[in-house]
Amino acid sequence: MSARATLRMALVALLLLLLQSTVLLSVRFEGVHPDIVWLLPIMAALLAGPETGAIVGFWSGLAFDLVLPTPFGLSALVGSLLGFSMGVATAAVDRRAVWLRPVAAVVGSVAADMLFAVLGAIFGQQQMVQIDFFSLFLVVAVSSALLVLPVNRLMRWALSAEGNRRSLVSASSAESGRW
Amino acid sequence: MLVVLSLSIISLDLNGRTHGITSGLKSVANSVFSPLRGAVDDVIDPIGDFFAGAVHYGALQSENQKLAATVGQLRQEQAERGFEQSQLRNVMALQNLPFLDALSTVTAQTQEIYTSNFTMTITIDKGRADGVDVGMPVVGAGGLVGQVIQSFHHTAVVQLITDGQSEVGVSFGQGLSLTGTVDGQGPDSSMTADLIAPHAALTKGEKMYTSSLDAAAFPPGIPVARVKSFHTGAGASQEAVSVTPIANLTQLAYVDVVVWEPPA
Repeated sequence: MSARATLRMALVALLLLLLQSTVLLSVRFEGVHPDIVWLLPIMAALLAGPETGAIVGFWSGLAFDLVLPTPFGLSALVGSLLGFSMGVATAAVDRRAVWLRPVAAVVGSVAADMLFAVLGAIFGQQQMVQIDFFSLFLVVAVSSALLVLPVNRLMRWALSAEGNRRSLVSASSAESGRW
Repeated sequence: MLVVLSLSIISLDLNGRTHGITSGLKSVANSVFSPLRGAVDDVIDPIGDFFAGAVHYGALQSENQKLAATVGQLRQEQAERGFEQSQLRNVMALQNLPFLDALSTVTAQTQEIYTSNFTMTITIDKGRADGVDVGMPVVGAGGLVGQVIQSFHHTAVVQLITDGQSEVGVSFGQGLSLTGTVDGQGPDSSMTADLIAPHAALTKGEKMYTSSLDAAAFPPGIPVARVKSFHTGAGASQEAVSVTPIANLTQLAYVDVVVWEPPA
């Protein structure tokens, strides 16, 4: 990514981090709040392919890890895996399809939270699998579906520094072929 | 490569010898991020409060009435507790243990509750600069709330006793002669008391206090939990005891950090 795109990405990540640790913490259902962090690698993967998705997932995850009480690096690990997998999984799909973003956001966020909990338990944090997964998945799925459009706009702005959107999409298709 | 890098970072964090590196990074990030978060909260909170007040006016009135009733009940309990406290003080003195009243505390305001969906933690607005350090017990709302697990310059993270990783050594029974551990089981499960011998003399509603055993992770005498139910299974090696926290963990706007560090 160019320096300009990296700077814009950092701004978007900071904005979402602030949103997550202020507004979204007070939006709770059954004690569960939305997890916005996973939308960054998902949108990056849809807009620019698996490699960018993985890079964005790693750095945004690491930024969120700085303020979370869970093991440092866990969000980065899940974010990079999520970004890469989402890019690969949607490589054969028309990325301009209207349904793709909400579906990818819901499926990706739920899968990421599941992976986050399981990996956390493997790394010795047993309490991470002692939660109400039904409420967690419900809240994360609904909030991701609602927040995907504004996050998508922000990510388009951040990644548009790489070139125009059409070239990004075609570059991502070629990139997916290489991966 | 990113996966390997992530795994290396996690290893650094989980390794006791290199944990200081990641902890230092988190501390610096918190020092930078906390004022930003505070500024956003200062703008957003009044707006949220305004709408909450407008929408839930009836509920607030009813809550005020309930609070007034609770205050009356607490006054009565306080009068009764004087006797229990004096009894506890005597038991502690007999065992040559310090009583909680003698320890100094730092009052802190809760900034965030459950920052992650996967842990039961709160973030408080006092940190190392205020004398708050890792391992210090946190009390409030009638009993033990938890323990400081991360301490930054002006903030700290407290693991609640209901968190699945929490384990508190307790004493109970006549003369606090019986011991066990109270374990958190996560947000939706009741807490359990373990390592209690089968057919131990328990009564429903009995209070359990932090003990001086368990390598002294807490100062003795802090109320932890109340016995909810108990039974001995056939052939069981320990009593199955279900307990509820004495502290009201839904009312954690302010807590006290006890300035007491576990012995090295």
